[in-house]
Amino acid sequence: MSRLDDCYNVFDLRDVAKRRLPRAVFEFVDRSTEDEVALRNNRAAFERIKLRHRSLVDVSGRQTKTTLFGKEIALPMAIAPTGAAGLCWHEGELELAKAAAKAKIPFTLATGAMTNMEKIAREANFRLWFQLYVWKQRDLSYGLIERAKNAGFEALIVTTDTIVPPNREYNARNGFNIPFKPNMRFTFDIMRKPEWFINVLVKYLTTIGMPRNENYPPQYQKALRSDPKMFDVMRQDNLNWEDVKIFRDKWPGILMLKGINRVDDALKAASMGVDGIIVSNHGGRNMDSAAATIDMLPEIAQAAGDKITVLLDSGVRRGSDIVKAVALGAKCVLTGRATLYGTAAGGEAGAAKAVNFIKTEMDKTMAYTGCNGVDEISTDIFFGDRERNTMVGA
Amino acid sequence: MAALDDCYNIFDLRAAAKRRLPRGVFEFVDRATEDHLAVTGNRTAFTDVKLRHRSLVDVSGRSTKTTLFGKPASLPMVIAPTGAAGLCWYRGELALAKAAAAAGIPLTLSTASMTAMETIAQEAGGRLWFQLYVWKRRDLSYQIIERAKAAGFEALIVTVDSAVAGNREYNSRNGFALPFSPNPRFLMDIARHPSWTLGVMGRYMTTIGMPKHENYPAEFQSTITAGAAGRRDEMRIDSLNWDDIAKFRDMWPGILMLKGVNRIDDAMKAITYGVDGIIVSNHGGRNMDSAAATLDVLPEIAGAVGDKCTVILDSGVRRGSDIVKALALGAKAVLTGRATLYGTAVGGQDGAAKAIGLIQTEMDKTMAYTGCNTVDEISTDIFFQDWRSNRG
Repeated sequence: MSRLDDCYNVFDLRDVAKRRLPRAVFEFVDRSTEDEVALRNNRAAFERIKLRHRSLVDVSGRQTKTTLFGKEIALPMAIAPTGAAGLCWHEGELELAKAAAKAKIPFTLATGAMTNMEKIAREANFRLWFQLYVWKQRDLSYGLIERAKNAGFEALIVTTDTIVPPNREYNARNGFNIPFKPNMRFTFDIMRKPEWFINVLVKYLTTIGMPRNENYPPQYQKALRSDPKMFDVMRQDNLNWEDVKIFRDKWPGILMLKGINRVDDALKAASMGVDGIIVSNHGGRNMDSAAATIDMLPEIAQAAGDKITVLLDSGVRRGSDIVKAVALGAKCVLTGRATLYGTAAGGEAGAAKAVNFIKTEMDKTMAYTGCNGVDEISTDIFFGDRERNTMVGA
Repeated sequence: MAALDDCYNIFDLRAAAKRRLPRGVFEFVDRATEDHLAVTGNRTAFTDVKLRHRSLVDVSGRSTKTTLFGKPASLPMVIAPTGAAGLCWYRGELALAKAAAAAGIPLTLSTASMTAMETIAQEAGGRLWFQLYVWKRRDLSYQIIERAKAAGFEALIVTVDSAVAGNREYNSRNGFALPFSPNPRFLMDIARHPSWTLGVMGRYMTTIGMPKHENYPAEFQSTITAGAAGRRDEMRIDSLNWDDIAKFRDMWPGILMLKGVNRIDDAMKAITYGVDGIIVSNHGGRNMDSAAATLDVLPEIAGAVGDKCTVILDSGVRRGSDIVKALALGAKAVLTGRATLYGTAVGGQDGAAKAIGLIQTEMDKTMAYTGCNTVDEISTDIFFQDWRSNRG
């Protein structure tokens, strides 16, 4: 696949994805919300952190592998839950999950995915996590939890930062909302991307029909283009700590909360027996005024200590970003867009390529900073004030 | 030479080099790594330092000359080791070395250069330093050290910031990675730059043939296109460590420097190993894209080292004022890589001489404005605000 061969980093994969996908699908993946301040700031916060070379440490035996929740993974990275992998590539979730399994990193399946969890578990079983959006009618969510348990998922991730539907103006403009309300612009958009039309949409239509949210409760499992009341039944602005207590009772495996951005929330999660928290602003896709996650991480990781495992997402595009997050207390990061761009550019091979770029970059950053193992990564490699991570003179 | 006459600063030389060189060669010289954060940060750190005019000091007797390792240099500047001078100009390393010798500043020859160190020593003269990449098979490196000693090189610089190859995506995209594996894009690129093709590659082909890494050990001295299998692996230096430095110190009686020291602890350790000089360097931003700007790293290192060894800086120097700023913050000299390579690419020895001349003039003017008659008088006293907060 020559287009993939021309890609040397995640940004190249993004370019290929942009050429390949209908604008509406690409923007759904790529953009965020309102003025995209949070999205840009997530990146800028990573880029502001400066590191130092360490000289003359023999790093010929270095390794990116780490242990997460008691088991080994190839690098401190997991695939974040995303709803649109199935629109980036035919059965995109499965492609992405297979790439993750081969790369030996965990894969998170979203509630909004278009491939059912049982199929993922059968065909791509390494470490599987399931992300939960909670239904207004809670027993529907309990049913989903049972299903994930039966399918052998290792972890349940409850998303806690999506109380209301985010203000994604571009989706409305593009005629791209779930449920679909295709407008003229969207129809025109698809006509301009015949390769996507044939290889993704037509493949669905000639096999399973219009893609569906396969992990929704059966009564809501209609094709994507139906039922405008869907958001209303998935409203979760009444989600609260009592729900977490119930989920903890129902889920014997690893339980994580995604979107914890305050010390008090982190400590409360720990006190309720939650195993992991993900410092996340949903890739900048929900609240545009959200602080950068890498800026919030240090105080949360410090307060959490060993009481709870801290992960981070939102903004990771380079291997050096993982090194920075690990130095500031994250045990692992999640990648959403980075690996989706790869999936859109080349299915499993593209996703594998994205993971591999990031791994190579992380390996090089470890070599330059003199770290042989992930445990050796600390703010000692930072330039500037190590406590507050502000640059000298900045 | 019209192209050179139209150049009034390093950036003009860069623009002329860009026109003259195939894109693959130009980008190899000009670009850095990944998202180009480090290379940009290096420049910003210099331009963010603001100076004050000092009035009414008689500066009519001022001079940029300095003493470096006990010997004079006409200004506190040295040519950095770079691998591609020989691709910028026919026998470019020799052209650059002659310009440096004529200007009275030291030249560093890179392990990866395409002119034999003996040729440089015989034909250019001047103060010569040799930069060492260490081979996995250490005895090969020891042979090179002996060769440099026999050729009369004054200093040995061990590069310590390149544990792994930089992630230089543009080189792969351009089909320009050593060893060369020319792709169609690279061939088109060459076809569009006939003056380079004839003036550089053509002259090699009609004289010595395809350029070789003349300073590699004999068994790896294939041409740059031949791509000796496993050569890259042979030059892996991720096992380089302080024991190697102890060994080099034993073998090398001259000046020994480490290039790429960016931590106080590493600097202090270098001193205990009897190293004479350290170069605060992030490899021109070409290796780790998250690297801090060297001018930002310099003050604390220079402060900790004091007189125990000589501190030099590189990465980002394009103007004479940059040298003044680096000296004020504790460097004894700077190295220029791209700045003098741009000149070499535009006009060989004349172009390199022009680059040095431009920087020297700029340094001289900055000294005059700030009231400094000698390099010893340059200090942070000329800075606007304390250097720790001089970013506003």
